[in-house]
Amino acid sequence: MAVQADRVFVLPGDEVPAALIPSHPKKALKLGPGLRHVPPSELIPTVAGQLATDHKKNSIWVEYNGGRYIPAVGDLVICSVQRSGPDYYYVTITDYTPNAILPQLAFEMATKKTRPQLNHGALVYARVCLANRHMDPELECVSPTTGKADGLGPLVGGMLYDISLGMSRRLLMRKSVEEGKVAVLDELGSAGLAFETAVGRNGKLWVNSESVKTVLIVGRAVKETDENHLNVEQQKKLVRKLVKEMN
Amino acid sequence: MPREAEPSLNERAFVIQALQEGQRIDGRAFDQFRKLDLRFGDQYGVADVTLGKTRLLAKVSAEVTAPYTDRPFDGIFTITTELSPMASPAFEVNRPTETEVLLSRLIEKTVRRSNALDLESLCLVAGQKCWSVRVDLHVLSHDGNLIDASCLAVVAALRHFRKPDTSMEGDTVTIYTPAEREPVPLSWLHSPFCVTFSFYGENGEMMLVDANLLEEQLRVAKLGGTAVEGTSLIQCASAAVARVKEFSTLVDAKLADDLKRRDKGGLLAELSAENER
Repeated sequence: MAVQADRVFVLPGDEVPAALIPSHPKKALKLGPGLRHVPPSELIPTVAGQLATDHKKNSIWVEYNGGRYIPAVGDLVICSVQRSGPDYYYVTITDYTPNAILPQLAFEMATKKTRPQLNHGALVYARVCLANRHMDPELECVSPTTGKADGLGPLVGGMLYDISLGMSRRLLMRKSVEEGKVAVLDELGSAGLAFETAVGRNGKLWVNSESVKTVLIVGRAVKETDENHLNVEQQKKLVRKLVKEMN
Repeated sequence: MPREAEPSLNERAFVIQALQEGQRIDGRAFDQFRKLDLRFGDQYGVADVTLGKTRLLAKVSAEVTAPYTDRPFDGIFTITTELSPMASPAFEVNRPTETEVLLSRLIEKTVRRSNALDLESLCLVAGQKCWSVRVDLHVLSHDGNLIDASCLAVVAALRHFRKPDTSMEGDTVTIYTPAEREPVPLSWLHSPFCVTFSFYGENGEMMLVDANLLEEQLRVAKLGGTAVEGTSLIQCASAAVARVKEFSTLVDAKLADDLKRRDKGGLLAELSAENER
């Protein structure tokens, strides 16, 4: 995670200082991942990480780089198809966990006759639309309000890389360079490489390009940034090195 | 039982396509190994091998037992491998997977049946007492090429191991504690190492060493063996010879380092009751 000086580091079971909890005159306090409410008015972190707050939205959560992905509604994930049932595809979001279900009609413009044919091992970029504890999560590849895919759907070609959950969260941030401190994709793009990526919140990165070399470089750059915790300057240096090696 | 997670269709197609263009996913050359590291523990006979993200721990122990009745002059030497759920959720305790069976068979073949350890030297009193040497091999992290790494770990651990010194007076055998006499190394005859080659493509035209887990899942897998070009076999053999020499120098250098670390004040030679034979 990007280290920010003004954030407090908490451990599971720590006491959250009352001064850090945002207070808003009208809105109710929103608890994000990693926090648990013990009635009447106690907050307990359940994971180790940095305590983050948003005063405008009156929300508080813990930023952590945890091991296993737990589905949450609205998350974008990359999953692989295991088998197909009469109405559903059974897909895995994380290896060695129970399957999630993806309705065959939850694709853009899908009807009984035009639905996509996906075999075992095919990759799908989808959104989590139902996630409850003790229940199999449900996914969709189409926005239920507009009927548009918005870039979701089967992923054809390319290569899938495993990245850490924290890294995927940073890549998915709206301002990934400022907030997430990942400039590696932007740098690669401005170095003249043409590629497309899809980031799954479940720790997956899909990269596709015309040339195999470009895919390999993008994958390696992101993985090295992730594993060695590179800062923005080091990322730029890494990209320059990799691009030089390619030519 | 959870099945091993399989790579997706995209990964399969891409890895093979990249190999056809002469590229590996992690940027290595076809005949390049990952970073190999060997460390010894504080005790004698503990070797920790890391090969990329694959990590193994070998531990040697010895005890005095009765020899097998059909082999009264030989000691006992066993190797047990354990692929625990720590390495991958697909492994279960007490239920060996195919990987584990293949691994233990191959280690058995290379180290035990090649007579790398002189079993007769483990005999104390013929038919009554002998040393039983046991190697426990634990896979701590599985990222492919377990065979080469575990062979290296077993050989290094056995060469590092020291068993308690003994003496014979008439019919009585005395076993000395390390405080009384410096433990003695095993009688080691030669150091076998494995080098695995993985073949890809329809006719097995691409050849890699040290495949990682993803590459291992995609290679041409034929347990009964498959036909290989004669020339590529010779190529493999000569590449393997060079690689084994590297392994051998690595183990020798690390053993020498470890000895230097233990030999404080140069007293080890004086403590030793071994004589030159």
